[in-house]
Amino acid sequence: MAGITTHVLDTDRGRPAAGVRVDFSVLEDGRWRLIKSVVTNADGRTDAPLLPADQARTGQYQLEFHVDAYFKARSGTDEADIFIDDPVVRFAVFDAKQHYHVPMLCAPSSFTTYRGS
Amino acid sequence: MDHAADRYVLTRRSLVATGLGAAASAGTALAQGVPAPTGSPAKPGTLTTAPVSQSGLSPRLTMHAIDNFHGTPGAGMVCDLAMLDGDGYRPIKTVTTAPNGRTAEPLLVDDAFKTGRYELVMHVEDYFATFGVKLPSPNFLGRVPIRFRIRDAGQRYHLPVLFTPWGYSYYRGS
Repeated sequence: MAGITTHVLDTDRGRPAAGVRVDFSVLEDGRWRLIKSVVTNADGRTDAPLLPADQARTGQYQLEFHVDAYFKARSGTDEADIFIDDPVVRFAVFDAKQHYHVPMLCAPSSFTTYRGS
Repeated sequence: MDHAADRYVLTRRSLVATGLGAAASAGTALAQGVPAPTGSPAKPGTLTTAPVSQSGLSPRLTMHAIDNFHGTPGAGMVCDLAMLDGDGYRPIKTVTTAPNGRTAEPLLVDDAFKTGRYELVMHVEDYFATFGVKLPSPNFLGRVPIRFRIRDAGQRYHLPVLFTPWGYSYYRGS
């Protein structure tokens, strides 16, 4: 299935990161246009795909993960230890027929993303 | 036929013709005192150096680009450093990594090392193009923004970035 999905995981605690706001944008005429803001569910995923299959288009897309608020709301986190700063992932959909799963793994001081499946 | 060897020959040619020299001149490598990476080995930044310990050095921001596709330092990576100022990021400098994947000088040190919210944009697609890696066009990753905070200018901050054409990882190192 084509489209874009994400998954937010808290690798510090070894569990999905629930309640993280994700801003999903597309590059249009050199500017990032917000398509939607969603919040991760209990499984760290979004209830619906960020970009459903019937809207899949080639282009440059952006995910902004608002993990700062998530970490601050998490019990036992020292704000001084938060190094990553609301990470932004920019990626190209180069073939609209493919699916792009873009997971992110985070801890207060580390961030990882990749093309998943 | 040894396809791998064939590819390295092509890579060496492309390096001599345009590759890392162009990357270095695009940045401020000369101004930074980074050795011009002409005559580089066929593979990017062949690993001949031992790890570097920065323990005990004064507060500063340093980085290390590591190419997990080739298993080498990320040499010749163009990186734009900027600081959040109001609604946008204000450019500070553009640097190019040396053959060991580090910058010749700290990204920030002394009076320039301030608390704040920073962004380091790494030219990942250009980097792999320089080494002749065949990728989709545009590639999944183009220019990769790395966002982080310096919360205490009395501490030393090291920013390692591990990257491939399909993903990356960064963390507060040491």
